[in-house]
Order: sequence, then structure tokens, then C-alpha cells
Amino acid sequence: MIKTVGLGKTVSTSEGQLTILKGIDLEIKKSESVAIVGASGSGKTTLLSLLAGLDTPTRGDIFLGEYELTALDEEQRAKVRGQMVGFVFQNFQLLTSLTAIENVMLPSELKGDSRAQEKASDVLQRVGLGHRFNHYPGQLSGGEQQRVAIARAFASNAEVLFADEPTGNLDTGTGAHIIDLIFELNEEFGTTLVLVTHDVRLADRCTRSIKIDSGELK
Amino acid sequence: MHFSLALKLLWRDWRAGELTLLLVSLIIAVSTVTTITLFVDRLQQALLKESATFLAADRVVASSDPLADEILARARELGLEQAETLSFLSMVFSNDRAQFTAVKAVNDKYPLRGKLIVSDAPFVRGTPVESGPPPGEVWLESRLLPSLGVKKGDILDIGVASFPIGNVLVKEPDRGSGFNSVGPRVMMNLVDVPATEVVQPGSRLTYRYLFAGDVAALDEFEAWAKPKLGVEARMFGVKEGAAGIGDALDRAERFLLLGGLLGVILAGVAIALAAQRYSLRHYDHVAILKTLGATPNGIDTIFVVMFLTLGALSTIVGSGIGFVVQMAAVQILEPLIPIELPNPGLRPVGLGLVTGFICLLSFALPPLLKLRAIVPVRVIRRDLGEAGIADRMTYSFAFIGIIGLMWWYSQDLWLTMLIFSGGAVAALVMSVVAYGLLHSGRIFGMQAGSTWRLALAGMQRRGQENTMQILVFGLAIMLLLILYLVRTALVEEWRAQIPENAPNHFAINISPEDVDPIGQLFRENGVASQPLYPMIRGRITSVNGQLSKERDEQREAVSDDGGPRASSGRNLTWTAHIPDDNRIIAGKWWPENYRGPTQVSLEKDLAQTNRLKVGDDLVFTIQGRELTAIVASIRTVSWDNMQPNFYIIFSPGALEDFPSTYMTSFFLDKHEKLFLNTLLNQYPTMTVIEVDALIEQIQSIISQVTLAIELVLGLILISGGLVLLASIQASMDERFKQHAILRTLGASQKLVLGSLAIEFCTLGFFAGVLATFGSEITVYGLETEIFQLEYEINPELWVLGPVVGMVLIGVVGTLATLKVVRTPPITVLRELS
Repeated sequence: MIKTVGLGKTVSTSEGQLTILKGIDLEIKKSESVAIVGASGSGKTTLLSLLAGLDTPTRGDIFLGEYELTALDEEQRAKVRGQMVGFVFQNFQLLTSLTAIENVMLPSELKGDSRAQEKASDVLQRVGLGHRFNHYPGQLSGGEQQRVAIARAFASNAEVLFADEPTGNLDTGTGAHIIDLIFELNEEFGTTLVLVTHDVRLADRCTRSIKIDSGELK
Repeated sequence: MHFSLALKLLWRDWRAGELTLLLVSLIIAVSTVTTITLFVDRLQQALLKESATFLAADRVVASSDPLADEILARARELGLEQAETLSFLSMVFSNDRAQFTAVKAVNDKYPLRGKLIVSDAPFVRGTPVESGPPPGEVWLESRLLPSLGVKKGDILDIGVASFPIGNVLVKEPDRGSGFNSVGPRVMMNLVDVPATEVVQPGSRLTYRYLFAGDVAALDEFEAWAKPKLGVEARMFGVKEGAAGIGDALDRAERFLLLGGLLGVILAGVAIALAAQRYSLRHYDHVAILKTLGATPNGIDTIFVVMFLTLGALSTIVGSGIGFVVQMAAVQILEPLIPIELPNPGLRPVGLGLVTGFICLLSFALPPLLKLRAIVPVRVIRRDLGEAGIADRMTYSFAFIGIIGLMWWYSQDLWLTMLIFSGGAVAALVMSVVAYGLLHSGRIFGMQAGSTWRLALAGMQRRGQENTMQILVFGLAIMLLLILYLVRTALVEEWRAQIPENAPNHFAINISPEDVDPIGQLFRENGVASQPLYPMIRGRITSVNGQLSKERDEQREAVSDDGGPRASSGRNLTWTAHIPDDNRIIAGKWWPENYRGPTQVSLEKDLAQTNRLKVGDDLVFTIQGRELTAIVASIRTVSWDNMQPNFYIIFSPGALEDFPSTYMTSFFLDKHEKLFLNTLLNQYPTMTVIEVDALIEQIQSIISQVTLAIELVLGLILISGGLVLLASIQASMDERFKQHAILRTLGASQKLVLGSLAIEFCTLGFFAGVLATFGSEITVYGLETEIFQLEYEINPELWVLGPVVGMVLIGVVGTLATLKVVRTPPITVLRELS
């Protein structure tokens, strides 16, 4: 489902060139759940953003499904993201001016899906927020906001779900519920899951863990 | 797909209050521009109409021959009103007395603009009437009655016909201030002229055809008719036809345009700031949308649709509000505006709509277009979000828009470039200086107490934003100061043009032996008079050996009417001292006791039009004799100052051998007018021209023009206030966040408010300093290049500018941020997270 060859990322800083990733080769199969773990600054979030097509590498190739991401421009990458990728972020990344259901409808609306509301409503019910449809993010707790984000990720029938520290901003109890929810839905929808985490419990639930250290796979 | 999504997002943004500031800014900007445009348009039209009373018409064709029927027919076709007058000089008789008079025969339509004022007795204020004398009677100017020893009802003979005196003519609108109207006025009906038999082949006649109507028809008529007029005819409007008014109107018009222009810029800045804030607050939104699959083109579509919808909405609502506001302003100001404003036309409404939309396009669209460049990875790493945003392209939108609008408004590329380049240079210098000031503020702040340190450290930390904010504050204050300074200079110039007690009567045809006794009579009666100038008619017949009539063909016109001809007959004088308001621009004025070869000093337009220069040999024909003179100097003349002015002045003694008459001007108050009877009874051969009514009319127009520009200044002030508010609002999020964190950490209300007040006062002070500097430079350019005024530095401004900046921005900024200490910090942080 996902494959990288010699993936590298170097950025310019005020102190010169900084290499974040050094020739990463990896492969993730369909329906697999993979945790990318490593210390802060090891390059795991950069790797996630490259795999998801949010950023471009300085060298190497990335294949996502049938697409070679590194051969696409931003316009085409955006279309790929819309078609097959879902995201869950540490800081939820909901649009503050939209209600819970509108946030969940957004990916379907971008695709022009006329059944956006129906789908969003189903998934929101599914994550236990049937009573919170018309609440704004500011009116929801952290756990509820993350559940809206999860609903948004699954509502668009994504083939791959990328999650960046999905429990990082939540207390232990709420975090555990969120982990359960992600894995339940992942199984239900048959999604490929790639997540970045420090949370050992979360990494243990995945079929595989990839450790990254100073930009290299260990 | 994106279209309906854009509308949905627009609605959702509106519901969440994200659009309020942008929409309010847009609506206020469009309505301010519409209000100013409408108001200025109506004022301009009204002033022109009011000034048209000086000509008794909107356009006049003056000619020594009757005008071709074809031209009059064309005017009728275009729906123009027409009137006709015929002027000639004639002796008139009553009992056994005779007087040389300027007769004006008018038809029933005269005057088309303004009113005639008549009375039963001389030298009193009369009552207005709609038209001139009916057939069979004549009206006489006040001073003719004592000199002929007649009263209303007596019989006056003109040529072979006799007419009863029906009225005393107190004022005619197009009396004019020139000396063409030598001789007291007799007004009669045009149909009575043949009966007098005074008009014979070869008589010197002036036909004037008056036209009035709507602007478009007049312009069309002028464009069509002007090329068809012969050399003997000349067409003019109020600006060319009425001395003293044309300049004032021209300058007022330029001021109103400048006002409109600055209003547009201020509105544009307000829109740009609000759009910038909206855009900044949407960086994250766009990154999320992109993450979820929105393409850059999709983002463009979404925001362009949102923008167009917003634009259409705010332009329609703004224009409507603008229309209502200017109607209300006119209602409120009606008692103050002594002239009737014509109904607003559709053109200014259209102008407001188009202006509003161009403003949106150039100022609101660029910040929105920047959103396409937001990179999706911003959802993970916020610091990467703004990479690659092309400011250059988006700002060029604003520049093109601003130049286009300025040019469109002013129809004057020179004025546009002057203001624009002045503004651009000022902005560049200002940003460097502002950055320097902020830095020095920090060094000073390190020595100060905690409130100061906090404020100044904050200011420097957001150095770039604050430099921008100083620029915006500075720009707004600068534009207001410019307008204020130009207005003050204009009003002072106008007041100085016709000071209180300026001469309001001219006395001509004074014989040399009467010069001393008349001077004595003036002194005894306490009448303030100018020196007595000798006056002789004469003309230039050759220049450096070439006949001046030949040179007439090669003139370089300095005005629409072709400028003064060298070969025309002129009043000549001589004097040892240069007249007060004249300025030498080439050559030298002769010494006081000069007795050398004959020299002349020429007026600038006469010299330029006819390519005459210092050192040229001129031959004059005066009273049938020739006289040679060398051009010693070229000088400017203030034709508007209501004093004796001459195109040609000779060196002292040069014309002593020629019999001459003298002229002077003097001031008489209204209640002293009976002095004229004493004067004319004792010296019946002299002629007095009363220009007091004309001066009063000029002063009234000037005060109306002054009021108009002050009203526009007021409207621009409102625009300026809007920019200040928008600018403060645009920086609010960042300040709220900083101070909410400080409050969370336990900072007292006093500390937070104190540091905010210091921050805003300091920004205001710096902005004031820069605005003062910028406005002095721009005003120098405007006054010398555009308004032809003399520039003087304004020392009071150097105190006023910084203090106004500090107080205004300090108070408004602190009041606007009071919320930061009143709202629980967690609410602020949550809202902005």
C-alpha cells in the first residue's frame, strides 16, 4: 500500500543544512497498522507527513496505492489525499467556525459527494457524538474533539489513515478510549493505519512498529 | 462543486463571526467612497452652476459679427437655452446733459443664469428680477443718474429714439471685472435697437450669445461649435470667462478630487487590513482543507467565489448606505450650504459601485490569493505554513489598483504619479526609520521600569508587524495632515487674494489736471486709494523688425482662447515702482530714477504667447505716433487681485509726451456709496466702475468653496478613523494572546493595560513623527506643482503631528484592547488556539 525508496529530507536552517531523514526504505501492506516510534526530533513526524503527501522529500520516491507521490504536483497530491487518505492529529485540527457535523462533512463535500450529511451523521453516531452534531469545536472537550476528527477521517472512506500523536493531548482515560475507537473503526473499515506515537500502549496495539532514530530506521 | 462549497463556507464563516470585520470594513469603505463621490460631484456641479451667474450662462460665444444660424440651430437641437445680447458704446442725452455710455441690448431670455437687480433710486440695494427691460424702456446704472441729472421716469435719448427710464440697474450678473465695460451701463431691449439708428455698418459691436443646459449637451455643443467659429468669435465657460473665479474653482476642484482620492486610498487600506486579518486567521483552515484534499485551484475558486459574493453584497449595501448618508448630510447641512445642490445623478452612484469593486479587487483579493500558497504540512508544523507565499505578485495588484483609481479619479497622470511616488518613497523611508525607532525604543526601554520594558520588548519582538503598523498609522495620519495643510493654504490664499478693504471701485478717464484735486478729495473723505496710474491706449506694431500681425499667426497658445495677441490695442502705463503683486521672472526692473532709453516690462502670458523676450525691440503705435522700446523684464501679474493691472508697463517718463488720462482704484464701504455722487458731480468726465458687487459675489463663492472642502475634509477624517480602527483590530489577535498569557502568569491589570497604553502611544508617536515628515514633503510638492501656491514650512505641525498620533492611537488602541483584561485569559486562549 505504501512504499518508500531512499527517502531523504534535508532543510535549510540558519545554521546550515539539516538532514532530517537519511535514505528511508520501507513498505507497509494493505490493512496493516504500523506505529512509527522514536525520540523527539528523530524525524518520525516528518516521515509521516511525507508518506501522506503533505510535504515533498528532497530525494527518494514514495508510492501510495497506485500513485507515485513524488512524481505528482501539489494539485495532484491534493486529489490523492482527498481520494484515499484520512488524518487524525494531536491538536485535532478542526475548523473552529464549523459545527461537529460540518467538520465531518467537509472531506465528502470537497469530493462533491451529495450524501455528505448522511455519511457524516452515521459516523458521528458511531463515535458516540449523536447528541453533539451542532456543537462548535470550542464547545467540545478534548476527547470529543478528537472523536470528531476520527469521524471526519473515516467518513470519507479513506484507504489509509495517518495519525500524528492522536492521544498526545488527552488524559490517560480519554486516550485509551480514543485508541479503542481508532482500532475498532480501522478493523471495521479495513483501513491501513500509520501512526506516530510516544504512547507504548498505542504502539503495542499495532501489527508492527518502526523505530526511527536520527533520521534512520533501526 | 467548489462553488456551492464556497457559499456554504461563506455562510459558516459569517455565522461564526469571522466575516464581520471584513464585511463591515468593506461596507464602510464602499459607503464612504460613494458618499464622498456623490457629495463632491454634487458640490462641483453646484459650484459651477453658481459660478455660471458670472457669465449669466454656462457657455458664451462673444463675437464682433452675428453668429451663423447653423450654430444657433444646433444649440436648439441639443435642447440648450439661449439668450442674446448686443453691446456698443454710445452717447446718451437727457435734458441738456450728455454721457458716453456702454449700452447693452438684451432679449427677453437674458439672463440665463443669475439675476438682474433693480431699484427705484440710485445707490441702494435693489430687488432681483427675472429678465431685462421690456421693449420701450431703458434701465440706467446708479451713477448715470447723478451725472445726467435724471431720475426714474425721465426720458433718455439714444440716437434718434427716446425711452423712459424704467428702473435703476443695481447689478447685472455678467458685468465682468475687465475694462471692456468702460462707461456706465444703459440696458435696453434688443428689439428697440434698430429704432435708435446708432448701429451702422462699421460700428464696433459685441454680440454675446448665451447658452445654458445640461453638462453633456453643453460639452457636445462646445466640441461641435468651437471649430466652426471664425477668428472674430470666441467661446468660453465660467472658468475662462470670469476673472477671480476660474482659479478658485480650479483649485477647489483639484482639492475635492484630491480629497476623493485620499478617501479611496484610506478605504482601500482599511479593506486591505481587514482582508489581511481574515486571511491570517484562515491559514490553518486552508492547511486543513488542503490536507483533506482541496487542491490549490480549488482553494482559489473557493475564496474567489467567497470574495465576489462578499464584494457584490458589500458594494450594493455600501452604495445604498453611501447614497442615504450623503442625502442626510445634505439635509443636515442645507442651512449651511447657501447654494442649491443639483439632484445626484446616476453617474456618481455608478462611480461609487465601480470604485468599491476595484477597491475590493486590488486590496481584498491579494491577501486572499495568498491562501493558495499555504502548504498542507502546516497542520503538523505551523512554522512551515507561510513558506513560498508570493507577496510581490499580490502587492502589485494593490499598486496597479491604486494607481488606476487615482488616475481615473484625478484624470491627471502627473498628480497621480506625484502622490504615488511621494507615498512610495515615504513608505520606504518610513519603514527604515520606523524599524530604527523601534530598535532605539528597546535600548531605552531596557533602562526603564517593568511596564515600559514589557511594552517595548513586545514592540521589538513583533518588529516587522509593528513597522507595518507604524506605516499604516503614519499613512493615515499623513493623508489627513496633507488634506488639512492644503486646505489651510488654499483658504489663506483665497482670503489674501481679496483682503478686507480691497479696492472695490475703479476710476478711469481722469484728466491730468484732475489728478491732484481728486487725490485731495480722497484724502479729505478718508477714502483709501491706490496710486494714480497714467493710461494711454496703444498697440505693438512690430517686434525686432517683424510686423506683429504676422507674428500673431505663429502664437504659442497658453490658454484655450489662444492667449493675448501682441497686436491688440492695450492700456499702457508707466511707473517707477513695480506694482505690489507683480513678480519679475526674467530681466530686471528699472531703477527708481531711470532716465535712459525707453524700456518696457511685459506680462508673462503676453510674452510667452508671442515669444517675446528680454532685449527684444518693440515698436508701439500710440495716438498715431511710433515709439521704440526695449523689453527690460517679464513679470507675473495677479489678475484676480482687483487692482489696476497692466500687460505692458513703460519706464518712467517714456510716455510723458503723449496726452494721457489716469486711473486708480479705491475702497468704499456700502454706506459710503453716496461719495460717488460727490465725485462724479465734481468730475463729470471721469468714469467710475463699481466692482463691489462682483467682489462680494467672489467672496461668497470662495466661502462656499471653503465650506465645501471642509465638509469633504470631515468625510475623509471618518475614513481615516476607520483605517486606524481596522489597523488596530488587525493586530489584536497577537496582542490578545500575549497579554492573556501574561495574565495567566499573574500580571496585574495595571501592568497589562499600562504596557498596552505605552505600546500604542509609542507607535502613535513614531507614526506621528513620520506622518509629519511625509506630509511636509508631499504638501511641498502639491502646493508648488499642483495648486501653484507658495510653500511655507509648518512649525506647529511638528508638535501637532506626533502629539495627535500619540493621543489618538494611544486612546483608541487602549480602549479597543480593554477586553484583554476584562475577559478571562482561558477564554481568550481557547478562542485563539
